[in-house]
Amino acid sequence: MTERAHAQVEFSLRLPVDEFTLDVKATLEGRVTGIFGRSGSGKSILLEALAGLRPAAEGRVRVGERVFLDTPRVNLPPEARNVGYVAQSPLLFPHLSVRENLAFGARRAKSRGRLTGPASEDALKYLELDALLERRPSTLSGGEQARVALGRALCSGPELLLLDEPFASLELPLRRRLVGMLVSFTKSLEIPVILVSHDPIDLQAACHSVLVMERGKLIAQGSPWAVLMRPAVSALQTEPGFQNLLSVRVAEHSDDTTLVHMGEHGTRLVIPRCEAEIGEAILVSVAARDIVVATERPRGISARNVLSACVAEVEAAADYRLVHLTVAGETRVLAELTQGACSELGLAPGANVHLVMKTHALRYVSRAG
Amino acid sequence: MCTAATALAFFPHREEPLKVGRMSELLMVVAVTLKIAITATLLLCAPALALAYLLARREFFGKSLVETVVALPLVLPPTAVGFLLLRLFSVDGPLGSGALGFDFGLLLSWKGAVLASSVMALPLVVRSARVAFQGVNPRFEGISRSLGVGPLATFFRVSLPLAKRGVFASLILGFARALGEFGATVIVAGNIPGKTRTLALAIFSAEQAGNEQLAGRLMWVALLLGFAGVAGVEWLGRRSVLGGGV
Repeated sequence: MTERAHAQVEFSLRLPVDEFTLDVKATLEGRVTGIFGRSGSGKSILLEALAGLRPAAEGRVRVGERVFLDTPRVNLPPEARNVGYVAQSPLLFPHLSVRENLAFGARRAKSRGRLTGPASEDALKYLELDALLERRPSTLSGGEQARVALGRALCSGPELLLLDEPFASLELPLRRRLVGMLVSFTKSLEIPVILVSHDPIDLQAACHSVLVMERGKLIAQGSPWAVLMRPAVSALQTEPGFQNLLSVRVAEHSDDTTLVHMGEHGTRLVIPRCEAEIGEAILVSVAARDIVVATERPRGISARNVLSACVAEVEAAADYRLVHLTVAGETRVLAELTQGACSELGLAPGANVHLVMKTHALRYVSRAG
Repeated sequence: MCTAATALAFFPHREEPLKVGRMSELLMVVAVTLKIAITATLLLCAPALALAYLLARREFFGKSLVETVVALPLVLPPTAVGFLLLRLFSVDGPLGSGALGFDFGLLLSWKGAVLASSVMALPLVVRSARVAFQGVNPRFEGISRSLGVGPLATFFRVSLPLAKRGVFASLILGFARALGEFGATVIVAGNIPGKTRTLALAIFSAEQAGNEQLAGRLMWVALLLGFAGVAGVEWLGRRSVLGGGV
């Protein structure tokens, strides 16, 4: 992803809540930051505190040149923070039409282009809201409501976008599509985004860096890949284990499969048929535990994908081994093996191996941002 | 100190056959009643809704004291509230001309009746409007604030529209209470025909004077007014102006 200038976000917050004390300090690197953690780990409270909806929070919050909070001297109310906040439930104003909902924060956006301005027009186009403008929120589907909620936040001209699992209640394919829309749209606005999600694939696809929270504290911070593969972090996932995310380009469709090319060298992969167009860049995922590692090239095998790879590192976790592999010298892939399998194969850095993946172990995620 | 009770005037004529004059007197009673009740409702509207919203949403020092004081007129005898107001606004009272240097001109006037009915109706309005505001998800207000809309504008653009049914009902309740107010009114404002004699007072006066016929007619007027009021509210509630809410 191409990086452009964006305001740097820095915060150090303390807020006692029911079961624990939220205590986090971070300087965000990269424009889109993911926050990952179990439910009840304080992710939503952190976002509310950043938005100014938790006035009891103490510490310091800075976005670019603007200081939101500097206890005890500064504590800006939410309306003065110029932050777009989208909660888990869409919370559209039920007494207003979609158009009125989108225009609700327009006064603030005036200086940056109103609902008729270019940013808002783009938001309407990106989020496909044009057809919904005269509808009442109660007549919208869940996905439509989520899109309007996002559009409403964007139309208020925010300088920071806080998204608390805005698509969590939606079905997977729709959610992936909306996350993709969001990422490509905010890229054009150059505003920092903080996205709370419990989906490691969303985080890898959308974020430049990831913070991991547990009981109100930060337990990890770094690039999505580096953070999410940590055994302590992947253990927090609802579907445990690391998910590899691969950028590929669609080459050919057949009846039930799609042929894609990965990386500069065009490594061929067969995935279940997807609806993307030929030549389009897409993301596919494969779980680290669904990859079979062989030291000799297997023959007479039903699996369609057999790739040559090189072992970069073998990392020990509590009850398994994480094998770091490089495919065609460019793509990083993680495979999860048992301790026994690992020692029997004698895997060590530098070893040349073959990776075996069933077609259906590979899953289409979304269009690449 | 002057007690307004001395101004209790009774109907001078008894058992007189109905005349046109009687009709206009009846209309006068209705006009006085509506003028006082409507003014009282308008007067209490802003403070009652502000108080209801604060009690529903904010925590502040002395909140339970405020709650108790606001509820007092519900549990005290109305005459006690009336007497308290009378003491407050009498010449030597803390809000009287002696202390302030000017006179509100409340005692024995229709303004006094308005004050008395407002005070008596306030707790009902505050209690039911508070429930209406509590029924609004506070996260809507948070979203509004995060969209750059300040607390006051958020109240008018989000809280009030979302609570409008309950708030409207609470004001109707207050209006009804003001219509029928007797005890506090009679002490503060007296029972002066054409000035402070409302339906409630007129029925009492007619009955005391033994004018059963007039009391009966006034009762029918009260019944009619009440019926029209309730039906009107029902009708308004079904209309889209107030309907279409949540």
